[in-house]
Amino acid sequence: MGDSVAGVATRARTSEVDFALIGHQESWRAAADVLAVLRGPERTPLPDDEIKDILPWIPPRAVCHVDIGSIVGAKARGLYIDSFIPPDRLEAAYVHENIARVRGAAACAIKAGAKIVSLGGFSSILIEGNFDQLPERHDTVFTTGNTLTVAFIVQGIKKICALEGRNLRRSTLLIVGATGDVGSGCARCLAPIVSSVLLSARNVERLRRLAAELQADGVRVEIAADLQRFSAEADVVICAASLASSSLLLGRIAPHALVCDAGYPKNLSPRAEMLGVTVFFGGLGQITGGMKFAPDFRGVLNRHPFPDVVHGCLLEGMALALDGRFEPFSRGRGSITQERVEDMETIAARHGIYLAPLYNADGPVEDGLLLPDGMGVRMSAGIPRGSGPAAPLS
Amino acid sequence: MEPLIDVNCSAMECTSLLASAPIWQDILAQAMTGEVLAAMNYASLSEICDDPAEVADALEHAEGELGHAASFAAEGRKIGVDVANNVDAKHWKRLREAFLRCIAERDFIGCLIVQEIMLESFAVASYSRVGKVARGSLGETFARIAAEEEDHVDHAMSILRTERALDPQRFDDKVYRLHLDVMTTLAQMLAKECRDGHCEVCHASCVKPALFDVSLSAAELRGASLQQYLKTLDMLGIPGEVTLTWVTQLPV
Ligand SMILES: NC(=O)c1ccc[n+]([C@@H]2O[C@H](COP(=O)([O-])OP(=O)(O)OC[C@H]3O[C@@H](n4cnc5c(N)ncnc54)[C@H](OP(=O)(O)O)[C@@H]3O)[C@@H](O)[C@H]2O)c1
Ligand SMILES: [Fe+2]
Ligand SMILES: [Fe+2]
Repeated sequence: MGDSVAGVATRARTSEVDFALIGHQESWRAAADVLAVLRGPERTPLPDDEIKDILPWIPPRAVCHVDIGSIVGAKARGLYIDSFIPPDRLEAAYVHENIARVRGAAACAIKAGAKIVSLGGFSSILIEGNFDQLPERHDTVFTTGNTLTVAFIVQGIKKICALEGRNLRRSTLLIVGATGDVGSGCARCLAPIVSSVLLSARNVERLRRLAAELQADGVRVEIAADLQRFSAEADVVICAASLASSSLLLGRIAPHALVCDAGYPKNLSPRAEMLGVTVFFGGLGQITGGMKFAPDFRGVLNRHPFPDVVHGCLLEGMALALDGRFEPFSRGRGSITQERVEDMETIAARHGIYLAPLYNADGPVEDGLLLPDGMGVRMSAGIPRGSGPAAPLS
Repeated sequence: MEPLIDVNCSAMECTSLLASAPIWQDILAQAMTGEVLAAMNYASLSEICDDPAEVADALEHAEGELGHAASFAAEGRKIGVDVANNVDAKHWKRLREAFLRCIAERDFIGCLIVQEIMLESFAVASYSRVGKVARGSLGETFARIAAEEEDHVDHAMSILRTERALDPQRFDDKVYRLHLDVMTTLAQMLAKECRDGHCEVCHASCVKPALFDVSLSAAELRGASLQQYLKTLDMLGIPGEVTLTWVTQLPV
């Protein structure tokens, strides 16, 4: 025991840190699993109420080392840093506390000497407009990772359409959270190849601005803050709203619609009636050149029914580190373009980072379907230990 | 006999303080016990110091901690309760014994780690929380003492950082050994409920369930203490992922 603790300490001092990933847990169940790994199998697990009492007090810090490899032989060493935002405190009421947590996590990354930092989940949303509040350091850059997220959302939609023989060109695309960084990036990539676009968010002024931008390129656009107000039913939907909890009910969409839930936490309410609809979790990629956690958090920090699957936002920092490009590739809000997405896809693919096999809460959604050539996807057998989305603690 | 009614305290504040006096009595007793124990620890430390300046420093600290104990006793008198201390109470006794093991080994650095990093993290964090909710001079006293404790942690910190720089691995291993001993006891003491019998400091039944009546909770005091401990270890330079493992492995 003492040895293993000492071992981690030695490593922290001797290893160089290329990248850092800043994240937080999506549910209490996920948080409990992380603490269970740290606590070790020989100790009685922490009861749920103790976890909820203790976690909010943990200051942001590194949780584990992450070593990754590229298919062309490059290697990069990184750290996963958790901001320990409690899963039920993502609401606006906690914004100051949460910004302080992300800032603390950023300080950890800087202190560790990370050359590039990916801001996962709500981290980039929280820190947006507060970048000047990040600790000053010239040799650490930050990326939101949203460009690669957009790339994987778009790839996922194209892939399912190809698999199910849907014609995107005849589709009506609805984007919830359309004016966000991820949502607007998806709009720019997909608007030119669908029949029409429905944009939704709460702030109508921002919706108008995005609509005008797309209309200038000849796209048919409709906007509404209320999802029930659209004149048409969407047959392809992207959920990319920054919701603090899974509470979205889509209401009126086409009976066999394709829905990509890219939220973290997921946007769609578990109560949403999705009969006949194909739902998949979007924005996820798979690193095929190898990924090792120390301590072993496989399937715990990345809770997916396939190995080595990671959120696009975190993979972006990894891809840039493998490429030796320590630059703030995605920064600011609303500036993700199709060209940038293609650049990022190229960088990621060069190192064997591809779209992950698609899945939803019930498991894989492409089982038994033949993959067309050129989709750049690998199906993997085997479900990693402790993986898979489980019911939240409450 | 000191006046029952604090001159710094409005009539309404005093009524509520008096109503909750039995709760404050136990909170003060825990704090006072910690202070008396700290004074004993510094007095013991003075006996293993070679440098006369260090001896004087340790004795001065011991005096300071006795002063804190006296301040807590005085706060008790103001609300009409006797504040007793019991350094032989089971948890406190184990903490003292852990310190005395460092003394027996003439381990000056070990002593600083136990007293300044572990026990003081708990004192600073819990006094600060109490200082925020207690009204009038009671709150002010807790807040003032929290600030004074933090000051002397700063002083020890520079000694400990210098020591760590000499051989980080050895230093971290030592902190870990002491953590297993001292923090395990502190964690039991800070548990949300005392399941293993009476703590031998509270004057009647365990005060923990009653803390809600004075806007405190055992969970909050434990959380704040562990947070302060982790932050102090961060300041020492021990890797965060290592100390996170230490803390998550403590008993609850
Ligand atoms: N899968 C991945 O790898 C990945 C990566 C990055 C981000 N994400 C997730 O993607 C989501 C969006 O991230 P982002 O960076 O694009 O956030 P963002 O820039 O803050 O945008 C959020 C969007 O959601 C809208 N919105 C917020 N609350 C809403 C509500 N109650 N109802 C409807 N719309 C609402 C916002 O517009 P209004 O304020 O006007 O409503 C805005 O359009 C988040 O859940 C994030 O965690 C996932
Ligand atoms: Fe003191
Ligand atoms: Fe002290």
